[in-house]
Amino acid sequence: MRRWLGAVVLLLVLVIVLVPIAFMVGTSFKSNAEITQDLHLWPHTWTGSNYSRLFRDSYFGQYFRNSFIVCSASVLVSLVFGSLAAYSLARFKLLLRMEQWLGFAILTVRILPPVVIVVPLFLVALKFHLLNSWLGLILVYSAFNVSFVVWMMESFFREIPIDLEEASMVDGSSRMTAFRRIVLPLAAPGLVATAIFAVIVTYNEFLVALVLTSSPGSQTIPVGASTLITRIDIDWGAMAAAGVLAAVPIIVFALIVQRHLVRGLTLGAVK
Amino acid sequence: MTAAAAYLAGRRRAQGAGLDRVLPYLLLAPTLLLLLAVVLYPIGYGIRQSFLNFRFGHAVGSVGLDNYRQLFSDPAFGQALWVTLKFVVLAVTIETVLGLGLALLVANELPFTRIARLVLIVPMIVTPIVVGIVFRLIYASDVGLLTTLRTDIFGSGQVFILDKGWSAFLGLVALDVWEWTPLMFLILLAGLQSLPIEPFEAARVDGAGDWRVFLDQTLPMLRPVLAVAIALRTIDAFTTFDQVFVLTKGGPGTSTQLISIYGYNTAFKFTEFGYGTAMLLTVALVVLALAALTVRLIRRQAVS
Repeated sequence: MRRWLGAVVLLLVLVIVLVPIAFMVGTSFKSNAEITQDLHLWPHTWTGSNYSRLFRDSYFGQYFRNSFIVCSASVLVSLVFGSLAAYSLARFKLLLRMEQWLGFAILTVRILPPVVIVVPLFLVALKFHLLNSWLGLILVYSAFNVSFVVWMMESFFREIPIDLEEASMVDGSSRMTAFRRIVLPLAAPGLVATAIFAVIVTYNEFLVALVLTSSPGSQTIPVGASTLITRIDIDWGAMAAAGVLAAVPIIVFALIVQRHLVRGLTLGAVK
Repeated sequence: MTAAAAYLAGRRRAQGAGLDRVLPYLLLAPTLLLLLAVVLYPIGYGIRQSFLNFRFGHAVGSVGLDNYRQLFSDPAFGQALWVTLKFVVLAVTIETVLGLGLALLVANELPFTRIARLVLIVPMIVTPIVVGIVFRLIYASDVGLLTTLRTDIFGSGQVFILDKGWSAFLGLVALDVWEWTPLMFLILLAGLQSLPIEPFEAARVDGAGDWRVFLDQTLPMLRPVLAVAIALRTIDAFTTFDQVFVLTKGGPGTSTQLISIYGYNTAFKFTEFGYGTAMLLTVALVVLALAALTVRLIRRQAVS
């Protein structure tokens, strides 16, 4: 009985989650005439005109390119920097007992939402001519991500037995060789999970990109989509298509890697 | 010959030891420098700017603490704070109750839990801007999903959500609930499934009912996970921006003008960078306190 109730409720929840998304997808394949005159959930005649219009009249191609470059560069930088720092915190005794509290202090940066420092970031970027550039976005996102990488990787490194590195060092390899040959391969699953989460957060980030960029040459997909829909207020078909295009990369990505997601989303609170 | 070899070996060892001593700090340096440049320096810079007066985007002199004093006399700030508090309390409460209820219902494996998990991940990883678009398409009074449903069921009639203050506010809460209840659910489900079984069996043997077991066993054991989840959600909800920016831009009137939207408008629409910075730094203090609390909770979780 309880089982049945659970199943029914869960099914209902899935419907509530999926119908709005399905409605957006459906609308994106309707002609604007059908959207306004024929109110139905699903298109009668499917058309790709909204999509072709988007690519013809706006800069969606460029937005994708910018997102791709900014995302991959900042995730790469933060993975390299963050893993090294995390290894240091996980393995060494440091001055002022940093290994005990620095990780948590850095985690605070990850929890701090961008909106609280976005005005200073804008002013500093203005001062150093980093507005409207990939570099500005890459720097900011690297910093946001690195705090998360340190936090995640520290716990992964701590789970690896220290004996393995020591054995390798007794055999004559240096500390960094041991790190590269022994520790990193063992921590690879953690590294992958961390990278995945960093990609999602970076891809989705809106406010910092909105403030730091104002031309299609450097705007990312969320910013591009939002400026688009401000301009085309009543072109519902194009709006829906923009939503679908912005969502597709990240949904595909997430479905491929979904097993690792929950731990990342909860900052490791749930193992 | 042997003396020289021994000397060289000794020297190498000493160098190695020297490197080993600085190595940990070398490894930390890139990360700390990056955080210094991109987080700490801007915050310091922002604190300086918050003492300045801006006209048309340019600093025109120092005003001391006036920007902070203005917070107390600015009715729009008070209003934004009030809207934000209402929003956070309402949204997070609903999400927690729904998430917990759902997790309790589904705690025993159901036939399609795996697929359900997959579907439930979608709202929280989809770009927040897109969530805003989804809900604009739902609420659009002429072509939206709600109007469509009403037309399908009753034959005619429009549904107006974003035209009136109170319904726009509730519409925003509904958006947040749609987007984040799944996260609550997944965290609490993982928490529930990690609990030991023995206390529950013992309570059953003692003849406790469902409700008693929930209050005496489940809730206390789930408390750490619950606390972390609520704290994380509260911080996030407190600074919600993207979805509102797409859905209502704060309107109609100021009914959905959260503190983040008001701060953004102050700084970037009205180019009062000094006042905008002062406002957002004050918000930052609140959030920082919440964040520190959260980190403590996570830390306790990690230790136990």
